[in-house]
Amino acid sequence: MMGALQGSMGLLSALRSRRSRHLGLWASLISSAALAGCSAVPQLPNVLYLAIGMSADQAIDGEAHQEVQDRLAPLEQGYRQLHPSTRFQFSLYPETDLGKTIRDRTQSGLGPDLLFLNGATALKLLDDGLVDPYPANARDTAQFNPGDLDRIRDRRGRLAGIPVLVQTQVACFNRKQLATPPATLDELLAASAKGRRIGLSADVINLFWTAGSLGAVESITNVVKGNPIEQQELNTLIRWLAWLQNANNQLRVTFYPNQQTVISEFLTGRLDWIPCNSVSLPRLRQRLGPHLGVSPLPDGVGGAASPVNRLRVLALGRSSSSAGRARALAFSRFSTNPMVQRVLTLGSQTVLPANRFVKVPVQSSEVLEAMETSQQESHVISSFLESIHAGDSRMNKVQAELTILLFGERSPEEVAATLVTAFQRSQ
Amino acid sequence: MRQLLLEVFGWLGYLERPEVLLQLVLVVGLMLGTRLARRRRLIPGWPSLAYAPLGLSALGVVTLALAAFGQPYGLCRQLGIIWLGWYGLHLLHPLLLRWLPEERVHQLESRLLRPGFLLVSALALIKEVDSVNDLAVTRLGDVFGVSISTGELFKAVVVIYLVLVGCGPPAAALAWLVQRAVGLSDGSRKAMELMLRYAVVGIGLVAVAVQLGLNTTALIAVAGGLSVGLGFGIKEVFSNFVSGIWLLFEGSVRPGEVLMLDGDPCEVRHLGLRATLLWRDRDNAELLIPNQTFFTEAATSYTASDRMRRSQVSVGAAYHHEPAEVIALLEATAQQVPRVLANPAPKALLLSYGDSAINYALRFWIANPMDNVGICSEVNQAIWHAFKAHNIEIPFPQQVEYSMVWPPEQHKPNTEHR
Repeated sequence: MMGALQGSMGLLSALRSRRSRHLGLWASLISSAALAGCSAVPQLPNVLYLAIGMSADQAIDGEAHQEVQDRLAPLEQGYRQLHPSTRFQFSLYPETDLGKTIRDRTQSGLGPDLLFLNGATALKLLDDGLVDPYPANARDTAQFNPGDLDRIRDRRGRLAGIPVLVQTQVACFNRKQLATPPATLDELLAASAKGRRIGLSADVINLFWTAGSLGAVESITNVVKGNPIEQQELNTLIRWLAWLQNANNQLRVTFYPNQQTVISEFLTGRLDWIPCNSVSLPRLRQRLGPHLGVSPLPDGVGGAASPVNRLRVLALGRSSSSAGRARALAFSRFSTNPMVQRVLTLGSQTVLPANRFVKVPVQSSEVLEAMETSQQESHVISSFLESIHAGDSRMNKVQAELTILLFGERSPEEVAATLVTAFQRSQ
Repeated sequence: MRQLLLEVFGWLGYLERPEVLLQLVLVVGLMLGTRLARRRRLIPGWPSLAYAPLGLSALGVVTLALAAFGQPYGLCRQLGIIWLGWYGLHLLHPLLLRWLPEERVHQLESRLLRPGFLLVSALALIKEVDSVNDLAVTRLGDVFGVSISTGELFKAVVVIYLVLVGCGPPAAALAWLVQRAVGLSDGSRKAMELMLRYAVVGIGLVAVAVQLGLNTTALIAVAGGLSVGLGFGIKEVFSNFVSGIWLLFEGSVRPGEVLMLDGDPCEVRHLGLRATLLWRDRDNAELLIPNQTFFTEAATSYTASDRMRRSQVSVGAAYHHEPAEVIALLEATAQQVPRVLANPAPKALLLSYGDSAINYALRFWIANPMDNVGICSEVNQAIWHAFKAHNIEIPFPQQVEYSMVWPPEQHKPNTEHR
């Protein structure tokens, strides 16, 4: 009523002079707002802003946007059953640019509430002060493997995020061309000799699985940790590099500059077998349908493959309001809930759960079995990954040396010596 | 489209963050304060243009203060940069006027600089709240079975706009080069320029459609449907457009041509898609005539084959002057008027025997049909002076009055009065 009275007075005075007309306008606006307050104030939307980091081997296009939306949809629907008014708004960024983007947005107070990204990147952002440490309680941490948590814990013991999913590296093949996937590296080269076209990425992370198959992981881990290298370890390193160089000399084994190209060549049917990240499976399934085969990566004389799997975590942005932070925490805890984790795993069959209490029914699906095998095999490199962080400059040197090796410019012995020096260089 | 709207609507959620609200209030407050101070001249003697730097400086101080207190300040900085850029455009205006005519500067600012600046500013602000790439891949819907994303539509609109706005200078330059090489007339150059622009716009539209991946069969089907629409709805518009193209090819109505309209010579200034802009010298009026008018109605042109016009003035001389002398004097007089062409030579004629005088016509040629009225005035003045110098009388109309006597039987002819 007071507001209405003020409004009327304002309107009366508005008739008197030009100056008072402005005052009257303001008064009527304020009174309208006050009156509206008595009935229904338009509420700001409860939005949870989510920034998603995309790996270098994933193109950010309409298809990727749709895939993310499809994957997020069941999660969103489930969460909205508990919090009906919450809306989700996600943005995709290349993981390599994520630091700069989040810095810019945080400086404006417009940073995301949550970030869904690789564990290593989350750790880097925590070090740079771009995400807040995750306030995990004992109940939260009990859900995950201690090893996984260690991968995202900084020196001060702070958690960079909460693990949600694991994206695994597996082998993808075209069943029309390859009835049985190669189980070993020898079988892989034999398949290429029989005319099957093999595609590999020259990117060191995507190629690292071969180090395990050739028994070089232990040597590399020792070198990275700064331990002196023994001759036998050097020999396994040389064996790995020699195999790579030899593979590149095969007529039907092709190394591509990045994983994106490998995927697109496979999609167009110019390749029959490739290593792939499980996150690419929806796109591959869409194109190849039942002809897409998924298997574990080939073993070798040195043992099992050593795939580099990605632990995807949810990290807390620094710009949230108190309500936004509450939403972010609620959603992150909802995402790691065993029931939701099971739905995520079984629904898309592209990721593994981070929650250790969720059992993966490997017998029901060869894809799940391949991913689970990959997850088991990846433990061998956990020590190596702990010593390498996101954006580690040593990896650039290693990448450069590997490229030189693949072009045949240097012998495996020479490259092995350079790699030892590069890895042993302290950060 | 719904997805895009939801995305944009979702940005409102940032307003629940106090830091964002604080920055917005500070920037908007400073902008309004500066505007108010400028309007009311709150600082005596302070130049009007100098209020914005004052506001910008205040914003800079506020931004630094926020940064010093560890508060988010990026939005203030971003909006300050945009404000600075807008102010910079105002400062650019007098500089551009030094190099370009005002009309060109206005076109450049309103069609290119300001829209371009606003676009870049909008993108910079969107980048603060969302991923531009993400928005670009948001699907808007299907057009003829082809999925269109925001980015594709945005690119298409920008390309079409740039083609429409930006193809003028290159087309003019090419037409100028061809004119220099082949020796075209100015009218032909302008016609060529217009045709080049239409061609570039046409090719641009097709290229954009192809780039979007629109189905050509569907486009043809739509064109078929449109033709029915054209027949009923926008027949006049389409008819004017086609008439304009036809007139350009025909070359009868081109910029620079002089046409007679309602008895007045008018110069064609611009041949547009729908109408032709003519300039009438008599009252400096600009006439917008639908192209169809020239296509369906007869028009008189003085510039179809050349720009010369044969003009004529009439004069009467008293009966007692020898016609041959008058004719010779008239022709000599016309030759002395500077803007009358010597070749073809002026020609005087005895036209008729009037009530008070012998009527003569003086015909002469002029180079620019638009100057006709002025030259006729000069010739008439020269005749007056020549007649005066040679004692040739321009007689007044002569009438004989009779005084009537009543009753009529008593009336006697004038001869008897004498």
